[in-house]
Amino acid sequence: MGMRKIRTYVSLIAVLAAVALVVTGCGGTTGTTDGGAKAVTVTIGIGAPISDGAVALGKGMVRGANLAVKQANESAEIKDLGIVLQTVEGDDKGDPTTGGNVATQFTSNPSLVGVMGHLNSGVTRVAVKIYNQGNVLQVSPANTAVDLTQMGMKNYFRVCTIDSVQGPAAADYAFKVAGKKVAFVVDDSTPYGTGLADEWAKQFEANGGKVAGREKTGDKDTDFKALVTAIKSKGVDIVYYGGIYNSGALLSKQMKEGGLAVPLMGGDGIFDGEFIKLAGAANAAGDLCTSIGLPTAEMPKGQEFIAAFKAEYPGEEIAAYDAYSYDAANVIIKAIIAVAKEMGADKVTTTEGKKAIIAAVPSTDFEGVSGKVSFDANGDTTNKAITVYAVGADGTWAPAAK
Amino acid sequence: MTFSMSYLLEQTINGITLGGLYALVALGYTLVYGILLMINFAHSELFMAGGYVGLGALKLLGDPAVAKTAGMGFLAPIQSFFLSGTVGYICLIAAAFVISGIVVGFMGVFIERFAYRPLRHAPRLAPLISAIGVSIFLQNAALLWISSKQLPYSRVDGTSFVPAKTAFTVAGVNISTMQILIIVTSLVLLAVLDTFVSKTRIGRAMRATSQDRDAAGLMGVDINRVIALAFFIGPALGAIAGVFNGMYYGSVKYNMGFIPGIKSFTAAVIGGIGNLRGAMLGGFLLGIVESLASGFLSNAYRDVVAFIVLVLVLIFRPGGLLGEAVAEKV
Amino acid sequence: MTDAKTQAGTVGKVATIPPKKLALYGVIALLLIIVPTTLQAASGLGFLVRILVVVGIWVLLALGLNIVVGYAGLLDLGYIAFYAMGGYVGVLIGQTVSSSLGSGTYWAMLIPAALAGAATGLALGFPVLRLRGDYLAIVTLGFGEIVRICLVNDLGGLSNGATGLPRGVETLQAPWPSAWLQDTVRFPTPIGEFVFGPNLYWYFVVLLLIIGAIIVIRRLDNSRLGRAWVAMRENEVAAAACGINIRTQKLWAFSLGAMSGGIAGVTFAYVQQFISPESFTFMESVFVVCIVVLGGMGSIPGVIVGALVIRGIPDLIQGLMVAGVIQLSGDVTSMITGYRFLVFGLLMVIMMAVRPQGMIPSKRRALELHPDDDRILAEEDQTLWDLKHRDQSPDDV
Repeated sequence: MGMRKIRTYVSLIAVLAAVALVVTGCGGTTGTTDGGAKAVTVTIGIGAPISDGAVALGKGMVRGANLAVKQANESAEIKDLGIVLQTVEGDDKGDPTTGGNVATQFTSNPSLVGVMGHLNSGVTRVAVKIYNQGNVLQVSPANTAVDLTQMGMKNYFRVCTIDSVQGPAAADYAFKVAGKKVAFVVDDSTPYGTGLADEWAKQFEANGGKVAGREKTGDKDTDFKALVTAIKSKGVDIVYYGGIYNSGALLSKQMKEGGLAVPLMGGDGIFDGEFIKLAGAANAAGDLCTSIGLPTAEMPKGQEFIAAFKAEYPGEEIAAYDAYSYDAANVIIKAIIAVAKEMGADKVTTTEGKKAIIAAVPSTDFEGVSGKVSFDANGDTTNKAITVYAVGADGTWAPAAK
Repeated sequence: MTFSMSYLLEQTINGITLGGLYALVALGYTLVYGILLMINFAHSELFMAGGYVGLGALKLLGDPAVAKTAGMGFLAPIQSFFLSGTVGYICLIAAAFVISGIVVGFMGVFIERFAYRPLRHAPRLAPLISAIGVSIFLQNAALLWISSKQLPYSRVDGTSFVPAKTAFTVAGVNISTMQILIIVTSLVLLAVLDTFVSKTRIGRAMRATSQDRDAAGLMGVDINRVIALAFFIGPALGAIAGVFNGMYYGSVKYNMGFIPGIKSFTAAVIGGIGNLRGAMLGGFLLGIVESLASGFLSNAYRDVVAFIVLVLVLIFRPGGLLGEAVAEKV
Repeated sequence: MTDAKTQAGTVGKVATIPPKKLALYGVIALLLIIVPTTLQAASGLGFLVRILVVVGIWVLLALGLNIVVGYAGLLDLGYIAFYAMGGYVGVLIGQTVSSSLGSGTYWAMLIPAALAGAATGLALGFPVLRLRGDYLAIVTLGFGEIVRICLVNDLGGLSNGATGLPRGVETLQAPWPSAWLQDTVRFPTPIGEFVFGPNLYWYFVVLLLIIGAIIVIRRLDNSRLGRAWVAMRENEVAAAACGINIRTQKLWAFSLGAMSGGIAGVTFAYVQQFISPESFTFMESVFVVCIVVLGGMGSIPGVIVGALVIRGIPDLIQGLMVAGVIQLSGDVTSMITGYRFLVFGLLMVIMMAVRPQGMIPSKRRALELHPDDDRILAEEDQTLWDLKHRDQSPDDV
């Protein structure tokens, strides 16, 4: 018995040691590049919820970033520098702990210099510190929590506007343009939803509107029947929902079916075709949402982007963050190009190169799909445009009348 | 909050409807527990599967857009019957129940045969872990092989299979057709099951098995058949609840079973697990408590209130409301 | 009776560890130091150290639950609540005293976190421990959810709701001497630059905590309390008849297990530098139970291997791909990431059918369970065979 047990342990240890050796061996070789082409491989990480969480938005982030990288690889500028860009996806599932693991994995990747991500502010809270330690640039297309750029993380930038811009803009529209006076505010208990709903409620009351009630639901909830009955008893003329399309659409559907025929308004989290599909076009009609920036189709580079998107991903719809992810990836790519020109392509993936890339971002200034891309001293975008969309009779989101 | 009678009534009706769904699912937990003394953790995933199968059936039989796709033309004449007014609609829903109930019922039997039967004499926790394994497997199977998205429970054009708008208003209280349908159907199914178990021969065998499996075996009861039957009926009822859940709330998703599963299990325990009428009572009670907690207290704490009720019931009646005061078998 | 004898034997052996075993311990200790240090130095593999840290925290959790489930036989499905309590209490108290304690905050917070865990365990245990097995399971499940919901809803304005702690721009102080190590201990090696970074630091902290927990648990196992637990697990009524105070024993098991959870919680919070209710869902509780049962209830090596397999392997596969160590085509990558949980679920079912006592079962439990099972099975088969061959018409039910 004793001998056998010892033998089991020894074999177990041997296996572990072998695995460690093999893995170490592999690790040694990944840093080198293919001898023939002499191109330097530079990796950009895409951190997004891919298998769980707001998957439709996460997949959109992957599409946008991959499109930007593909175009860059085809450009003469990158080819002349002798750089090959590649992307690697890290599935954070919208969960901070998983996000922390993904961030460590990204940071461990020697050829990775920047991360385009993450979607959820909670994930970024954990991940950004790890990137900071590893000198990795992070550009988020979607984090809206106000304080993220106030944590003193010099490697963090975002191309989207924040809750304290989006929430009040939406509240102004609801009160001043749509003429709504009494609101009920619901959030999905996520950092994103809570932050946005708080900002909206604050501004709506500041405008002179009345917030008749404030409730929390879960981000996976589907049963809003009791809530709808409660809201109905308050006599409101608008419901604001801070959260993602999955639950938001069901709230809208159950509101209309339960005899509460007032519009539901939300943030960029519900700005997706899925919202209308889930709620049913008839129920969703008249619902409002805000999204950051101006409508893609109206932007100078918008049509170009839409054409490229349709060519690359036939049959797929552009989701809320595709264009932002495209711009965010381009921020990283432009910084890589700037550093490669200055220090040489082979220096890009060194520690000095990574630091130089972070240092190059504040001077970013280009015309992106979402508008002008440039950053203030904190790393927030200077583009603070917000557009209100409404679900039209044809069952699509369209820019709302001013 | 302005309190009014109609508000209280409307919330109570919301609660009874939710309770009907809980009761249907809770029966599956209680049937299996009564006979095998195991928590079938995978039951919530069978509820989810019921939602998906039901959606498939409804689309095939009641969505003209599906009949128009290539190779599906043969469905058109069948659909024209189901779409022909009230009787057709009722038949459509019934067909979805039957198909979903049978498919998921056989899934239950299959799971019992391969995941639980080999463990019948294993340590106490083994079947529970196996059930968690089945649950993880089914969730990921739905995620990988059906869709990772939340799917709308409607036709391709976005219209509901059953008009779910408010049907009528009594004294200021809105009641929808869906709510009446759920409450009536769940009550009827519960009554049928209760009669089945207490009046028929195989029902008697089930009760005997739940009292003492070995003794029942000695008396000539085919234990495997009884267990398989419990694993057919429970998931079939759960599947019907899954279809209702989809039609009532409007969507299906691969992880939708989790929360109703926990709640229904709670309901079964409140009523006294192993006791059929207890599961029904527990289900309705929990549904009403939750709805009122949400309506009068706060939606955020509805689950907290539900679990506090559970703890209180168990402290004062350790065997559940209708359960016997159980002494540990020695 | 035989139990007592084996136990006496084990106790006697503690004084004189056989040289073979000593050598084995030496090899294990050496590997535990060398492997992570090498990984930390190897360029591109640092993330493996973090996976080890996360797995280590889960080992701590599982060791704690192992007391409750494995030794005392109480199924706790809300174990994650103690983890949460430890984490939140550690961060909240730590934030208020960090100005005076500085980099000693984390170390000082181990005590309140452990106490918070134990106190929560007592508070929950007092009303519910008289409940029978499965009722206990659902009540603990409910308790876990109550704790999580209260955290999400920012009860009392303490937990900062879904956003989590620390608030806004505040940070958690890195514990002594992590910062010093990172700045001082760095040198080039043939496989890459070695930096004594926070991950390696936390690895050693967690390792120390695990070793401490193992020592405590082994002493407990051989104590009067440990034997009382076994007696109670096997037969409550008989144990009570022998003069064991069932309620007290259960409370001990609950609060000791919870204490380990509390320590794991505060460690998790400081490793991650952030804590939010999302990390304390019911699924996490289920994972801890799975680790204990798949690893082998009541078995310390079993629990460790269980945590490595269940928490470590999925992270390892994904990590190797994300960090660019193994290069796979996109299809294969999505196959693996997509199917790993499916396979995991299937493995759990197969494992239970083939080896219900766990991967590395506790010696005592294996002896207790197995021969008995076989005997019962044989008897059952005999009964069924007899029944089938007794010329009864099937309608005669």
